[in-house]
Amino acid sequence: MLDSPAISVNRLSKSFCRDKKALNDVSLSIADGEMVALIGASGSGKSTLLRHIDGLVQGNKGSSDHRLCCIDVLGRRVQSCGKIRRDVRRTRADIGFIFQQFNLVGRLSVLTNVCMGFLGRIPAWRGAGALFTRDEKLQAMEALNRVGIADLAGQRASTLSGGQQQRAAIARTLVQRAKIILADEPIASLDPASSTRVMETLSEINRLDGITVVVSLHQVDYATKYCPRTIAMRDGEIAFDGLSDKLSHDFLVKLYGSDSEELILGRKLHPKPLPDAAQQVHKLMKHEALTHAAV
Amino acid sequence: MSTTFTLPQRPFKQSLAYYLGWGALLALLTLSWEGADMRPGELIRDSANMAKFLSGFFPPSFTEWRMYANEMLITVEVAVWGSFLAVVCSIPLGILCAENMVPWWICQPVRRLMDACRAINDMVFAMLFVVAVGLGPFAGVLALWINTMGTLAKLFSEAVEAVDPRPVEGVRATGANWLHEVVFGVIPQVMPLWISYSLYRFEANVRAATVLGIVGAGGIGQSLWENIRGFNYADTAAILIIIIVSVSMIDALSQFLRKKFV
Repeated sequence: MLDSPAISVNRLSKSFCRDKKALNDVSLSIADGEMVALIGASGSGKSTLLRHIDGLVQGNKGSSDHRLCCIDVLGRRVQSCGKIRRDVRRTRADIGFIFQQFNLVGRLSVLTNVCMGFLGRIPAWRGAGALFTRDEKLQAMEALNRVGIADLAGQRASTLSGGQQQRAAIARTLVQRAKIILADEPIASLDPASSTRVMETLSEINRLDGITVVVSLHQVDYATKYCPRTIAMRDGEIAFDGLSDKLSHDFLVKLYGSDSEELILGRKLHPKPLPDAAQQVHKLMKHEALTHAAV
Repeated sequence: MSTTFTLPQRPFKQSLAYYLGWGALLALLTLSWEGADMRPGELIRDSANMAKFLSGFFPPSFTEWRMYANEMLITVEVAVWGSFLAVVCSIPLGILCAENMVPWWICQPVRRLMDACRAINDMVFAMLFVVAVGLGPFAGVLALWINTMGTLAKLFSEAVEAVDPRPVEGVRATGANWLHEVVFGVIPQVMPLWISYSLYRFEANVRAATVLGIVGAGGIGQSLWENIRGFNYADTAAILIIIIVSVSMIDALSQFLRKKFV
């Protein structure tokens, strides 16, 4: 294991409007090569957290102490005290980001979309002219072959199905030679078959290439199946951080109350309203989360 | 038994605004009557004179058609170059006018500059450029260039402001810089609209270029003006027919191209 973790978030808060905090004092640490699920109901802060790690959004200023309210990725500072570092593009080049809506450029070919993964690594003028070399294009084809859609390389990205577009987006992160993949609800817009395909691809990349993967999900089934570790969020706070095996059905009901129905699809739930008990468990789990982050 | 219905009543305030609106329009038209020197009666009273004047146009005289056709060609060429230069300059300027791409202290000054280019009519620019670079089509090209650039930069920037931000963010997430975001994220999205706007402006520029010759900025306008002033209405008619045919052909071609791209 490296001295510095792949991702380290230290006491990050974010409020979009005055009274409600989207992220509240979040700290976590993810080691190199881990595959971590980030679960929580919609609006719990999963996307916001991932977007902060990639430096797409800046956190609250917090304190003036630069060791607090900061995010480091691969030992490089992404942001601290509400300011994104100027050299964030270099860090972003090492992070592959996968979006719920794929975020490919629909009018460009799949191959060009995948070649965009080179932009952070080749000279800026060559990128601006879209002058990718033959060798680079072949590497992109190899990545497309690996995710199983090499035959679609010449098509416009908008003509692909959702699952195919998401695999093209994964190919883009492969071309990027990303050391970390952040996937923001990658399967939320996909049918079950495509979802399995995408999760399997991510898991394979993690296993074979040793790439750290953080994937936000709102279905616990996928988290327990593919990710050894799960971080559960609730109302902008980390409610649980530990082994995915511990996420039993009852535990989730306790943790999320009526929200748990969203997380455990396909199972009929009748959560008993136990506000006191739920709150206690929540407190306990938050404590556990903090100790985990400190380790 | 039939049920009785009550018709929906317009609230007093709303109906007052309705009648006031019509009243205001009527007042505006009445007040402008004098100033605009409206004399509709004369159209009927002097209709005999008008008929005589119109009969001068027939039959059109095409004896000089080679010269007129050549001048029409020059007119189109002026429009081609003026439009081309305007489109090329409007690509960066359109991006620099878009609020979602640059900070306000770039966007606002560039926008004001484009407003100025647009506010002054191309005939005015043509007169100024005739003084600056001499009589001839080049002055016309410069005039169309500046005026069209002002319009296209605004239209281009509006298209840029309406792009879907998600693909742009997708490009940004690969570690790309600002220029890469523009090239890969923005331009592919706005391309169909930009082409369509450019072709529209080209059509408008062909029409505008037909009168630039009046101030000495090249093209068929000069012959048109000389024939009108010399009361050669048969030749004037021939020139007008040549203009109508050429402009219609170019409009049809441009419409065909627009459909291909959109």
